[in-house]
Amino acid sequence: MKHPDLTHSSAAPSPSRRAFLRGIPVLTAAIAAPAPALAASAGHHWAMLVDVRRCIGCQACTVSCMQENAVPEGSFRTVVSTYSVALEGERQPAGTYVLPRLCNHCDNPPCVPVCPVGATFKRADGVVLVNSERCVGCAYCVQACPYDARFINHDTNKADKCTFCAHRVDAGLLPACVETCVGGARVFGDLNDPDSELRRRLDAAAGQVKVLKPAQNTDPQVFYIGLDERFAGKVDGQATLWKPRAAHP
Amino acid sequence: MSTAIVETINVTREIAWLPWAVSYFFLIGLSCGAFLLSLPGVLLQRPGWEAISRLALLAALVCGLTAPVALLADLHQPGRFWHFYAYFTPSSWMSWGAFFIPVYLGGLLVYAWLAFRPLLAEHGRSGGRLARLAALLACGGLESRRALIGAAALAFAGAALVALYTGAELMVVRARPLWHTPLLPVQLAITALAGAVGLTLLLKRLAGDADASATARLARTLVATQCAALAVGALWLLLGLGGLSAVHAEALAEVAPSANWQLAALWAAGATVATLLLAWKRPASGVLIGLLALHSAWMMRWSIFIGGQEVPKTGAGYYSYQLPLGPEGLMGIVGTAGLWVFVFILLTTVLPLDRLATRTRSSH
Repeated sequence: MKHPDLTHSSAAPSPSRRAFLRGIPVLTAAIAAPAPALAASAGHHWAMLVDVRRCIGCQACTVSCMQENAVPEGSFRTVVSTYSVALEGERQPAGTYVLPRLCNHCDNPPCVPVCPVGATFKRADGVVLVNSERCVGCAYCVQACPYDARFINHDTNKADKCTFCAHRVDAGLLPACVETCVGGARVFGDLNDPDSELRRRLDAAAGQVKVLKPAQNTDPQVFYIGLDERFAGKVDGQATLWKPRAAHP
Repeated sequence: MSTAIVETINVTREIAWLPWAVSYFFLIGLSCGAFLLSLPGVLLQRPGWEAISRLALLAALVCGLTAPVALLADLHQPGRFWHFYAYFTPSSWMSWGAFFIPVYLGGLLVYAWLAFRPLLAEHGRSGGRLARLAALLACGGLESRRALIGAAALAFAGAALVALYTGAELMVVRARPLWHTPLLPVQLAITALAGAVGLTLLLKRLAGDADASATARLARTLVATQCAALAVGALWLLLGLGGLSAVHAEALAEVAPSANWQLAALWAAGATVATLLLAWKRPASGVLIGLLALHSAWMMRWSIFIGGQEVPKTGAGYYSYQLPLGPEGLMGIVGTAGLWVFVFILLTTVLPLDRLATRTRSSH
């Protein structure tokens, strides 16, 4: 089958349409994000709230993250862990529990002190990043992360992880996963801004807000509402049979 | 394992520290252990230890020169190894390790050179293979006791620091309960010494040394190391089972439900007991107990490194690892072994094995 030459196709957007389309994410970000989230500067403390009750497990966040950050196939910076949970005293035998996972951008990050070359660091605005120019790919940080949030990127041979889409946040945009979340389960914002949606939602849900593996004392900056205690640490259950690396060597 | 929860979608994190890391920890452990075995005969001149210590020093050299190559290969950016020296990070044990390794290897090389100078000169005079090179390396073949003591002290400090950093590097990883136990560095040190005894026994046989008293001496050392390994293993288990230590209980709970881990634990304990009994009752079975001790040292590291990374930190169950055939797996192990053989051949050509294994010291 002959493919049409899309480069010169009339279907290609005109410069003005292209400019308009390019501007849509900025527009949506401006509407969705609290005002202080539009630019990274001193005084911000970026964090995320995941309202598990709103997550529908569609994996739009997973896919958008891979697209935005060119994550190699078989690796993930974020994923919605999905579980089938047996129910007792209910009409149906089992229900589904979903749990979006990502780097927790801990305030006491165990990945930072172990890095032998100081390549992984925490920015003043709370984002934990990897300096890929310095990373030697020793994977010590991969071992030290209690959330299995880090991995070695086989395209770059360096440590990789969620960056809270720092390149987008610095440009005044929301992280890709937040932008595409269908149920509005992911809320990103500035903890230091009392008027931010994140701060308001956290304050409103005081007492219900939890973090993963609190006993590790990592002080995670990804907070959860609706987190079932059975899923807060290593899950005691039957493992999934599908192995991404085995499927996509 | 709870059957009430079935994971249907999750990430499988692959092994990030590859078999290269196992090879490194195995070889550097053997090197440090063999260096310790070299001290009674070479430095302290204890009677009956001369041949043992010279062979052990050869083992320390071969393993010590091979180990850093495996370590370098485990980096996913090996060309950036100089970053370790350009960006020293005192909070990281791995960063300290980058400085401890040259201290140890530098001390070891000088110590070995000083110890072997008379033998090199002897080989130079005998006119054997690479005799001229041996004579050149001997630089006259003089013995310098004070320099030897100084080099041994430097190498000893380096070996202690290497043993410390390799153990601590794993022990500080709180995210992996199996590694996060204070007994792990002790277990690594004991099995490294046992493996070094095993390797020395093999070299002794390879050298054609039939000195039964030296074999018995090494067998007795092996009895001591295996007793210590069993005692520490039992303490680990008791601390975990008795709930006396939350860290050990967590580590035990992580692996106890797994049939693979149960088999590995039984295998490790069985092999250690078998080595202990053979070394005790049949000390002449040098090659067999040597191989068993080496096997235990490798297996312990394989289980801790590869098995430890098969335990998900958040997901259910266990990840399954299959050894790849390429450089990231089997070829890496075979390649490291090949390098070991190459270095061994190189060194024993300049310094023949039978000359090292002669019972008395050179008169020069």
